Amino acid sequence: MSRLSGTALVAPLVLVLAGVFVGPLLVMLPTSFHPYVPGQGIGTAWTLENYIEPFADSYYRDVILRTLWMGFIVTAIALLIGYPLAYFMARTTRTWRAVATLLVMFPLFLNLVVRSFGWIALLSNRGVINTWLMDLGVIEKPLRMMFDMTGLVIGMVHIYLPFMVFMLLSSISRVPRDVEDAAATLSASPSRVFFFVTLPLTAPGILAGCTLVFVLTISALVTPRLLGGPTYKVMSTLIYDEFLVKLDWPSGTAFAFILTAIALLVIWGANRVARRVTGGAW
Amino acid sequence: MKGPPVWVAAVAVLVLVFLQLPVIVVAMASVSTTSYLTVPPVGFTLDWFVEVLTDRDYIEAIQTSFLLAFAATAGSLVLGTAASYALHHRLVPGADALASFFMAPLIFPAVVIGVALLQYYSLVGLRWSFWGLLLAHIAITVPYVIRACLTSLAGVKSELEEAARVLGASGFNAFRLVTLPLLKPGLVAGAFFAFITSLDNVPVTIFLLGPRQSTLPVKIFTSIEHGGVDPGLAAISTLLILVTGLALVIAERWVGFSRFV
Repeated sequence: MSRLSGTALVAPLVLVLAGVFVGPLLVMLPTSFHPYVPGQGIGTAWTLENYIEPFADSYYRDVILRTLWMGFIVTAIALLIGYPLAYFMARTTRTWRAVATLLVMFPLFLNLVVRSFGWIALLSNRGVINTWLMDLGVIEKPLRMMFDMTGLVIGMVHIYLPFMVFMLLSSISRVPRDVEDAAATLSASPSRVFFFVTLPLTAPGILAGCTLVFVLTISALVTPRLLGGPTYKVMSTLIYDEFLVKLDWPSGTAFAFILTAIALLVIWGANRVARRVTGGAW
Repeated sequence: MKGPPVWVAAVAVLVLVFLQLPVIVVAMASVSTTSYLTVPPVGFTLDWFVEVLTDRDYIEAIQTSFLLAFAATAGSLVLGTAASYALHHRLVPGADALASFFMAPLIFPAVVIGVALLQYYSLVGLRWSFWGLLLAHIAITVPYVIRACLTSLAGVKSELEEAARVLGASGFNAFRLVTLPLLKPGLVAGAFFAFITSLDNVPVTIFLLGPRQSTLPVKIFTSIEHGGVDPGLAAISTLLILVTGLALVIAERWVGFSRFV
């Protein structure tokens, strides 16, 4: 087939993406450099204020730091509980592996809002956990598990854990068993085999899983909004409010670009680290 | 072959239970006779299901959601398969760069795409239009189709299609009769991902809906935001759980698509 027909095959998709992805982002860029005029919307003057404010104002700075902290905690917990699960799936029988795969995939495909709703039912003041604990007499007053970091982290770990598990699973499955057996034969203890052989060999998978979970976590909107409520904000819920509640599009736009920049920076950084570690082989 | 240590298996089981926890809670709460959420349920009733399924707002939201998801999946499949074919056979210059470009909507925070489209559609007059929503959904679902399609194409020998050409089939016929059937598992997996992604989407959709429009997840989302955590919501959520579970089992039986995750 000729180059012409190749172009004809790609062109429709290129046009669609240019229209609803690149175009909108480009249109949004100048907005972030205009001031917000209350009552009128986007002003005509040019300013850097929208980009300075998020870093100068302690309220906005707290939101950014909270978002990054949330990303870090969620990633760490997902790795910590995801690794044993992925390891189990990689090393168990075929049947168990198939069962576990479906059990990990099911919540992954289940609607985000439904999953967040489930966590509200579990974590709220009159939710399942508090009711049970009070009935059992363990606590007298309900524990506060929503509208703060606890609820956000639990909900987010639940939602992004499957991504981590699948990334780790494919990485652990590729570790040659011979290498582990060789180490064991040379009288390394099981924990030594794990920490000095298996773990280093799965480092690329760990890095990829952590990057994915971190980026998804700091970008998430639905779960932080439902489990964090209207006041406990992270970057994406702040953008949502600037646009739909405060109608301050310029400042919301600048925030959107800052969030994008952080996400792209993390991905770029992780790629660089991966290349250095594996010498470009990965 | 030595299996994993017992404590690893124990942790794995606990984590698997943790993953099902909210699902179990929602499903149980949806059959309680009480008007507030209780687990375990008090009594047993299916009234909440009847209530939501006779609610006009919910029915319209369900219709919009499914229409949108079907249209977006079909659009993504056609555009994505065509583009993947050209990329795989390097029929266009800069195939690698184009492939990254097609995957880009996956990397950008969805809320950023949402607000960008809100502003852009307001300018060009596409806000609140179904077509605007559909194009947006194609952009966010097409990466899944492309990824599944490129993976499958890598496993199809291009000699097969050439053989068909030599035997006199036209380019399109050779693709339709030889390559396409071989791509089916990948395409089904890609379509499944695309469909679920579209059906699920809130962060882009919520910015583009008109005042009287809603999709199912956006409707549930706004209901929860306005404080309505009741068994009716649990019932509609349970229906989504059942549909998702069923779709997953069918897709798995049909193509064994867990290979494509």
